[in-house]
Amino acid sequence: MSTIKSVRPGQRWYALALGVLLAGGAGVIPGSVLAGGLVQADNWAEEDESWGDDSWGDDQTESAGAALQGFYELGVGGRLHNDPVLDENLTLAEARARLEYGRYFDDTHFTLKGDIFADGVEHGLQGDLREAMFAFSVSDNIDMRVGQQVLTWGTGDLLFLNDLFAKDWVSFFSGREDSYLKAPSASIKASYYGLNLGGSGGDNGVNLDLVWTPKFTHDRFIDGERFSYFSPMVGTNVAAPSGYFVPEEPDQKFENGEFAARLFGRQGSTEWALYGYQGFWKRPVSMTPDMRGNFDRLTALGASVRGNLAAGIAHAEVAWYEGKDSNGDDPLRANDQFRALMGYEQELVSDLTMGVQYYLEWTQDYDELRRTDGHSPYRPDEYRQVMTLRLSYRLMQNNLTLNWFSFWSPTDEDYYLRPSVRYRLDDAWSVTVGGNIFGGEEQHTFFGQFEDASNLYARLRYSY
Amino acid sequence: MPEFISSTITQRFCRGAIVAALLAITPVGQAADLTDAQAIVSQANLASYYRGNDGRSEARMLIRDAQGREQVRQFTILRRDREDGGDQDFLVAFSRPADVRNTVFMVAKHTQAEDDRWLYLPGLDLVKRISAGDKRTSFVGSHYFYEDVSGRNLQEDNHRLVETTDQHYVIAATPQDPVSVEFKSYKVWIDKQTLLPMTIEYQDEAGKVYRKVEVLKVADVSGFPTVTQSRVSDLRSGGSTTMQFRFIRYDLGMDAAVFTERSLRKPPREWLRRPES
Repeated sequence: MSTIKSVRPGQRWYALALGVLLAGGAGVIPGSVLAGGLVQADNWAEEDESWGDDSWGDDQTESAGAALQGFYELGVGGRLHNDPVLDENLTLAEARARLEYGRYFDDTHFTLKGDIFADGVEHGLQGDLREAMFAFSVSDNIDMRVGQQVLTWGTGDLLFLNDLFAKDWVSFFSGREDSYLKAPSASIKASYYGLNLGGSGGDNGVNLDLVWTPKFTHDRFIDGERFSYFSPMVGTNVAAPSGYFVPEEPDQKFENGEFAARLFGRQGSTEWALYGYQGFWKRPVSMTPDMRGNFDRLTALGASVRGNLAAGIAHAEVAWYEGKDSNGDDPLRANDQFRALMGYEQELVSDLTMGVQYYLEWTQDYDELRRTDGHSPYRPDEYRQVMTLRLSYRLMQNNLTLNWFSFWSPTDEDYYLRPSVRYRLDDAWSVTVGGNIFGGEEQHTFFGQFEDASNLYARLRYSY
Repeated sequence: MPEFISSTITQRFCRGAIVAALLAITPVGQAADLTDAQAIVSQANLASYYRGNDGRSEARMLIRDAQGREQVRQFTILRRDREDGGDQDFLVAFSRPADVRNTVFMVAKHTQAEDDRWLYLPGLDLVKRISAGDKRTSFVGSHYFYEDVSGRNLQEDNHRLVETTDQHYVIAATPQDPVSVEFKSYKVWIDKQTLLPMTIEYQDEAGKVYRKVEVLKVADVSGFPTVTQSRVSDLRSGGSTTMQFRFIRYDLGMDAAVFTERSLRKPPREWLRRPES
């Protein structure tokens, strides 16, 4: 016990120092919040037998338990080698404060999650509203989620076929926590949970999700500000300011909203789903006649299954992407695509899990594309294939996690490696170090173009 | 002949009466000692993991490593039995620490097949399927194993009744598949009254006890003797985890639909909400 008592005050100072630092940087005053977090932790330092009822804390599902929560984080990352078109060698430099608030109004659950961060790469104080959402049930079997929210479905591990909700590739490439890969959107989601058709497991129903995103929310794609990208028009990588990629966005009107649907269920241990999407390509993969990037219309249909296989979990997913170039003869627009994914995950030995995936992107009407694109040397392959490998190893009572994730394309001859190590010093403090390493034989391929974006990063987080 | 018949009837009647009397007496008096190891562990399994048809409880863990550093976990568990001694569903919603807050873990436990496990990560709105994996690894960073929380399959061990004391049945167990576990054998002290396992000692190859699970407190909840405090000690490292259960309720009438993807994305407040009084 004496060691705990002697350690804790020290930690308090670090927490306070980080809090003050972030408060200064981010222009918020977290003192009271910080103190609250520490007081709560203190209740647990008592002897087992004297745990008082009060230290169980408020019932977090109750309105009385409405509380301010969140974290503070410092993140630093830099390029492994210079990018000739970008002066900035930092890829991550930020002091971030996350604030989370939740409470019930009768049976309606309101949640708010917001970030304020001082960004040393794109310079300035920035905000990101991750969630501002009301969740409620309108009947016994219909749930609603209304407001700013993060949405995910599908079976892929960092590969997305039918999940056409917004992604944040800038955060992903710069080493922010994995959850930042999903960008929020202002959406309305209605979920219908069908009646059980029998069986005792409660798992034989057919369910339906409908999501409407009134204002098209595209990915936060690589636009040349933090990372440069390959421009087929110039034949090399470009970046801001001259190469800052600002595509034309669809007008704000009803028919330019996004509609997504998922029909899904579970038969015993096997989950199945059918998907539909109507909206736009989430990245500006097409161009207007005056050679400006834009988001072309996209309709997607797909299906997935996931279940036990041998000692692990197998998944398979397919999707048909129907764009606006059904004949494939317009080189400025993306051709239709068939996408397929297969994956398998299994624990190899205790606490070491391995996952492998195979992904295919089959561009349709390839002959037409070949005929009309002026023999472009940058034309993507007809069958783009990607394999991924995930290794995840937990050590030291789960306080240390070693992670490896790699994308490798045998057809593009390029790769993206994502090693990371996370250490939890205690329930509040954690440190993560990792890398985003890109490379390839050619400068124009999907991952190869980001070779100069390769970076190492470190993050220190205090959660309360 | 009639005499023979009548005497048989009389004998039968008497025997029946004795049995009836015993049955009547048993609930209030001292039960005759059980002598079959299999029957004892089956009843202990029911007493520990299958009380009522369903249940809810809040739990917290105090994890202490050899250096005295502490971590906490706090969560609410919902359970529903599909069959007594058989398949069960669990939903575990975390409230502490901050980095796992609102994470929900769901398990469909199968006694004749691999379990199905899901994890909901609220930051990503991701329902992740987890492979069944080794059940004798740390449960959320504590010294408890997954198996300690959801119950070890009885068919995986050979059980032998080695001693019957005033208070306990002492069972010695060895694994059917020694490669699949880290212990050579273990001994369980099962309370004769409640049939709850009160102490479990795990032995390594050298016969040395290296891991100990102890029940520290038992309380009566709706007529069911229920463990409200227990501890696992890792005698090699010196670390230990103490777990407490509070706000326990049985037979709430939970529907099977509570244990589906819906509850991962929208945790069922009706059952997770702390009961009044």
